Amino acid sequence: MPLPDPDSNGRGWALRLGARATIGVLTSLFAMSAAGASGTDVAVTVATAKGAPVAGVALVLEPIAAQTPRHREKLSARMEQRERHFVPELLVVETGTQVDFPNNDSVSHQVYSFSPARHFQLSLYRGSVHPPIVFDTAGLVVLGCNIHDEMVGYILVTDSPYHAQTDAHGSARIAGVPAGRYRVRVWAPRIADAPASLERQVEVADGAEVAVNFALLKPLLAAPTPRPGRSEWDAY
Amino acid sequence: MGRVAGAFLVALGIAGGAQAQERLIVDGLLDLRAVHADTTPSYLNGGLGRVRFDDDHEGLRLGRASLGARLRLTDTLGATVVADAYDDGDVNAIGVSEAFVQWRPFPANSIRWQAKAGAFYLPVSLEHRLLGWTSPYTLSASALNTWIGEEFRVLGAELEARWLGAASGYRGDFALVGGVYGWNEGAGVVIAARGWALTDRPSVVFGELGSQRLGLYYQFDRSPGWYGGIAWRHHERLELRALHYDNRADPAASNLAGYSGWNTRFNTLGARWEPVDPLTLTAQYIEGRTAIGPNGDPGQFLMDLSAWYALASLERGRNRLSARYDRFSTRQTSGFYGPPSDDAGHALTIALMHRLAEHWELAAEWLRVDSRFPPRYWLGLPAVATDTQLQLAIRYRFRFEAD
Repeated sequence: MPLPDPDSNGRGWALRLGARATIGVLTSLFAMSAAGASGTDVAVTVATAKGAPVAGVALVLEPIAAQTPRHREKLSARMEQRERHFVPELLVVETGTQVDFPNNDSVSHQVYSFSPARHFQLSLYRGSVHPPIVFDTAGLVVLGCNIHDEMVGYILVTDSPYHAQTDAHGSARIAGVPAGRYRVRVWAPRIADAPASLERQVEVADGAEVAVNFALLKPLLAAPTPRPGRSEWDAY
Repeated sequence: MGRVAGAFLVALGIAGGAQAQERLIVDGLLDLRAVHADTTPSYLNGGLGRVRFDDDHEGLRLGRASLGARLRLTDTLGATVVADAYDDGDVNAIGVSEAFVQWRPFPANSIRWQAKAGAFYLPVSLEHRLLGWTSPYTLSASALNTWIGEEFRVLGAELEARWLGAASGYRGDFALVGGVYGWNEGAGVVIAARGWALTDRPSVVFGELGSQRLGLYYQFDRSPGWYGGIAWRHHERLELRALHYDNRADPAASNLAGYSGWNTRFNTLGARWEPVDPLTLTAQYIEGRTAIGPNGDPGQFLMDLSAWYALASLERGRNRLSARYDRFSTRQTSGFYGPPSDDAGHALTIALMHRLAEHWELAAEWLRVDSRFPPRYWLGLPAVATDTQLQLAIRYRFRFEAD
């Protein structure tokens, strides 16, 4: 399973943005509001080699030449645990997002990650007892539960505000993208294709919708299935 | 000193801050049986029958009454105690089958460590997946795992290192496990005296088994036994395990109480495959030997043993239907003590488990064991015997939790 690279470009933009904070923020805010009115849509589809749509795939658009605009408001998201699974299995968030980890199961979980992008541990809990975790470094954060090794979840942290996930039809759409050159990336834990084939460069021009279609070469990896009756299994 | 202690407490997770939930969990199990047996007398009642009940011990029976407590001492350190009663004339009416502490720190990288110390089951069975070493598939364990439950309880410590694949993009893990223990120098006496059996009557720690009061847990010398194993889990669908066990008992040792050192070693191999959700396929194999008497002495009792089983289980809604075929043998290769302990047999088990309601479960199991075992001559019985047992069980499980 290919993992996205730690996004060194993205981190570079973030640093440059910090150096030219005032102007950078103003221009990007302007760019975003302008884009909201007149920007271009980027539509992406992901399908298997046999043409079956792939849902839940992360889509990220990264400007190549321009700076990445940043959200200023506080972003928040949720990564629940239900029937001994992370729900959603994959969450895409922008850097700076705070994520809650509510546990809806009757059994306790011990959620952790030792990924370089965010190292954390939540001591044994049910419900919502822990304050949210802030993800402020771009990269892939692989989640685990120290009680239930079979639980695996992913948080893809990106510096770009242009991100989405494919729906049941394998489609995702990002509206209001300003003109410019972008790198389009898709990723999901079940996709076995090489990272290079999951990346395209596109030119976004005002007015004309950009469509990008990814046809996977390799079959998807098997999806984990919830087994709610088995919460106390494999005690030995 | 204080700083060292502080660092230790941090390592244990005490300083984690957030409140630990489920500080105490108590699980209870009451299992009542209606039994019809067509057998020779069970080994539990002084015979050499291979199932738990027999013609003189049928009707309404206590399957098991069990109480297990799990106490969380810190975020990553827990203690477990399980007490069982079987009402079959054991020395003590209630015995402890497991009592251990377990430490499982958060992984700091792809390797996750786990340590256990106390009394616990050998990590061999692929059938006993539920609390209290019970099986979701059948009432009676396979011959292989019956023996593991009867004669082997780790009284010592175990360390496991598990490579977690998720961070590398692999859905699965790989573990190395090793243990050292004492008081296992009696392990071998049951298989030598009786051959293989299929029951759900594991021993309790420092307990004895059957009306013959076969003592199991004792130690003659200062040399501990050990085991080492590997385990691989792949995509939640496949699990493979291998383990080598050697109790390193001195076969020449014996005492006035009549106990001898049983030098027992074995290798086991097991696989569980769940190709699609409702279907489970499990198979395990064991081969080994046990010996008493000085090495090199032509009078040394030396016995090879082997067994395997294959189990298929199908789950549909509230029902689970399982079928298992067992094959087993022992072969005495030296020493003369009357009819040789050469056991040869096979067994068929069919079980239906039904979840009745939240706390209630019904089970029906038919089990037939065919075996040839010359030591039956001692009891005036032919060597060949067929034991058939039909059981209906009603199980009530309850849980109490305190934060």
